[in-house]
Amino acid sequence: MNTLTIFRREVEQYFTTPFAWLIAAAVLLLTGLLFNQNLSQAARGATIVDPAFIPSVFSFALVFFAPLLTMRLLAEERREGTMELLLTSPVDEGSIVLGKFLGAWFYFTLLLALTLVYQIILLSISQPDIGHSLCAYIGIWLYGGATLAVGTLFSALTENQIVSAFLSMIALMLLWLGDSVGQVIANLEVARFVRTLTLQGHYSTSFAAGLFRGEDVAFYAGIIVVLLFLTMRLVASNRWR
Amino acid sequence: MIEVKGLTKRYGDRLAVDHLSFTAKPGEVLGLLGPNGAGKTTTMRMLTGYLPPTEGSASIAGYDILEDSMEARRRVGYLPERVPLYPDMTVRGYVTFWARLRGIRSPRKHVNAALERVHLMDRQNQLVRNLSKGLRQRLGLAQALVHNPAVIILDEPTIGIDPQQVIEVRESVRALGKEHTVLFSTHILSEAEHVCDRVLIINKGRVIAQGKPADLRRQMEPKTQLYVVVGGASGKAARQLLSAIPGVLAVERDGDGYSLTVEGDRDLRGEVSSHVMQAGYTLLEIRQATTSLEDIFLEIVGKSR
Repeated sequence: MNTLTIFRREVEQYFTTPFAWLIAAAVLLLTGLLFNQNLSQAARGATIVDPAFIPSVFSFALVFFAPLLTMRLLAEERREGTMELLLTSPVDEGSIVLGKFLGAWFYFTLLLALTLVYQIILLSISQPDIGHSLCAYIGIWLYGGATLAVGTLFSALTENQIVSAFLSMIALMLLWLGDSVGQVIANLEVARFVRTLTLQGHYSTSFAAGLFRGEDVAFYAGIIVVLLFLTMRLVASNRWR
Repeated sequence: MIEVKGLTKRYGDRLAVDHLSFTAKPGEVLGLLGPNGAGKTTTMRMLTGYLPPTEGSASIAGYDILEDSMEARRRVGYLPERVPLYPDMTVRGYVTFWARLRGIRSPRKHVNAALERVHLMDRQNQLVRNLSKGLRQRLGLAQALVHNPAVIILDEPTIGIDPQQVIEVRESVRALGKEHTVLFSTHILSEAEHVCDRVLIINKGRVIAQGKPADLRRQMEPKTQLYVVVGGASGKAARQLLSAIPGVLAVERDGDGYSLTVEGDRDLRGEVSSHVMQAGYTLLEIRQATTSLEDIFLEIVGKSR
């Protein structure tokens, strides 16, 4: 109930400011340009259209995009003093964090859904592998959830939104680059271990290839649960300062 | 109602609130009066469940703030010193949000009542960011009373708004006190006097005086002071003459003249002048020195330092 109230306010907040609409427009424009390029290359026979193309665009974009979506979440509440009121309402910290995180994830889901328009275009001009695309979409949706959880955590660390965004970008960048590191390590065991810790490692060779594996779902779900739990503890620690 | 027993908050070595005990009954406006840093905000934060106390206990409407925190919080309306706002929400949306969070399922009626109460009904669809400071204060008040709580805690609600609005807020608080238990903090003595049924004066986290404003005023009211300069008399003679006047309690040298402490609130100017004349001296100056309530308050607070 409380989670729902906070979730609703969060979603309304996204749409009552021009911010959300601008981001949606920018995302459509960028993915549209890339899709168009991909399509024209395929038309010349240079490549085939990758069914996971659009979701994979997000895998890198989220490094910058997730922090922008989440920097506000808890940092703003602290700066405006509304955190004090939230914490004195009959609401537990878990509901606050969960409601806010779900609000951000919901907005991301809507953005992702907008890009389904490219799949419809593909369907109308060719016979794409729908299962493969769907798998990639589910993968990037989970991947997005994990990056938003990282952003939510950093938003609880500081009351400065810029600092929060900056720190989560660095964290996500490391998680992203970790995959490239894993790819060049000579020792196969170590390389595999490094890759299992990165966001990319559970997407690029599985979901993006049309492979749906329980361990990848568990990885993203695990990241979300652990980070949200830490965030909750951080929010509770407001009381001790 | 609010019951506080030995409530203490320690920040490292500093005692912000030092074994504070008091009760506030339903239908009472209890004022917390004290200078900045006296521990008013910390006390309120402990009562609302924001800060855990280091020691002691407190209960809101019979629910312990630690044992039954959620039940206690459900029964508190709180307006922090800096009104917490969501600038991008509408006035109605903002109040509705807080009503829902405090467990009201269909908040429509409650929100209407709260908006009526603070006279914001005609601005219900305006964005919070466009409200003036006084209106924001009223919106903060609406948020604190929307769930019809047993206890309303207001932290310096009249700070930084214009005099007309100060009067409005004070009236609202008085009206709230008829149905709720209101805890109200201020550092302005005359405000506490106007608004509160009972006042606790606190400094350095401790209660240094308490009672009804009128009683406190009487307790605190010093005896009237008269300043007199007598011409033509030696110091000793003048002192003797002045102390002999009935009603004069003490005579003290003060610059060129004397400071007389007078019993009660009698006006002794006539007597003093006729006595001086009769003794053959001249009266060069006489004036009554009245101490403002503010001075008295400062004096009491000063003594407790």
